[in-house]
Amino acid sequence: MIKLENIHKSFGKMDVLKGIDLEVNKGDIISILGPSGSGKTTLLRCINFLEKANEGTITIDNLSLNVKTAAKKDIIALRKKTAMVFQSYNLFQHKTVLQNITEGLLVVQKKPVKEAKEIALELLKKVGLEHKADAYPSELSGGQQQRVGIARALALNPEVILFDEPTSALDPELVGEVLDVIRKIAKSGITMIIVTHEMNFAREVSSRIVFMDGGVVLEEAEPQIIFNTPKHERTKQFLKRLTPELTFDI
Amino acid sequence: MSSFFDIGYVFEAIPKLLSYLHITIEILVLSIFFGLILGIIIAVPRLYKIPILKQIATLYISFIRGTPILIQLFLIFYGLPFIVGMVGIDITRMDAFIFVVITYTLSNAAAFAEIFRAAIQSVDYGQAEAAQSIGMTSWQTFSRIVFPQALRVAFPNIASTSISSLKDTSLAFSIGVMDMMGRGDTLITATMNALEVYVALAIIYYVIVLLLEYGYKFIERYLNRYLVKEAI
Repeated sequence: MIKLENIHKSFGKMDVLKGIDLEVNKGDIISILGPSGSGKTTLLRCINFLEKANEGTITIDNLSLNVKTAAKKDIIALRKKTAMVFQSYNLFQHKTVLQNITEGLLVVQKKPVKEAKEIALELLKKVGLEHKADAYPSELSGGQQQRVGIARALALNPEVILFDEPTSALDPELVGEVLDVIRKIAKSGITMIIVTHEMNFAREVSSRIVFMDGGVVLEEAEPQIIFNTPKHERTKQFLKRLTPELTFDI
Repeated sequence: MSSFFDIGYVFEAIPKLLSYLHITIEILVLSIFFGLILGIIIAVPRLYKIPILKQIATLYISFIRGTPILIQLFLIFYGLPFIVGMVGIDITRMDAFIFVVITYTLSNAAAFAEIFRAAIQSVDYGQAEAAQSIGMTSWQTFSRIVFPQALRVAFPNIASTSISSLKDTSLAFSIGVMDMMGRGDTLITATMNALEVYVALAIIYYVIVLLLEYGYKFIERYLNRYLVKEAI
């Protein structure tokens, strides 16, 4: 249901993505792993056109866009099928927690106020923050802000949620609460693409792991295969460095 | 010329001067209102780096900032009829009040343009991306997410510019507008009580500024409502 074909992206003279192909089925939980600078985040941001790829086709459901010719209204239509959780949360600072979640429901989906509030409160309960509905983001911890960020993404009931290193900006003791929330929603069957450095988490929740390096997908397989019998040298080195307890030999 | 300072005349002058307060307020309100609109328009080319228009806006702002308001007032008063006259429109008989409003609008617009530009750039771009990522249009993103937060940053500067502008309106009488200052001038000519009239004017301007500052503080408190309390 999500299909990326031959995605190229360069910043100036630097080729960040060199022809990425990726297919994601409904309900898949894909983790994208790889060293810094491998293009993971750029790929994720190309999916919802926060970064405009130079070449390629992006398909979500029945909407297929050639990145070169995509019009503004097509891009907005595609974005309505996706939601994103950001590394630095990016909550709307001037809106309360509740308003952060209802904003998209009211403005983009044009839902009535009462219904939007109900959805928001239900999701806040899901992420364990119903008591913070009227707080402003500046009054919350990083972990709480990110849980609101997740609730905001869930509220729109998107086809796919894109997670851009959702725990990288958090203090170590706050990582757990956010991962717990993502685990919980992973079980609800929603499609997710996660860029992360949390190896154990990726191994546990993903249905598939995509390993990227130098702007290409090096390999792609179920977690037990990637973590136990990786094919590429680069994958082996990377995983071994981050998770020394792995048993394979390099 | 009276040799003593006549405190009684200060209180006598205040109501006479106040009867022209509405002119001062009209100049201020009109020039701030139009200045805000023009200021946003001038800020756009610099925010979006539109070639040529950007340079024109930069030059405009630098010229206004670099010249005294009194000279701008005379430039508009004598220069504008000349320029407009070249295309065959005669505005030499136009009310001086309008020249004053035009000058202060142009001057405020330059200040507001810089304030808006800095304020809009100060809003974290990540929030705009978050808005776009949920399918909001550029306009929705600007008007609902970026602008309200930019306004908070801009407001204290807009407030202080408007207070300077209020004080600058006292120059309007130099091209013949009968505002409080102009009325003061005629009182001085008639009574020779110069110091008393200036003291009265000082009191009036000072009280208006205090009232404005008091009002602005309330607005600021509202705009800052979402900041952590200790941080304010």
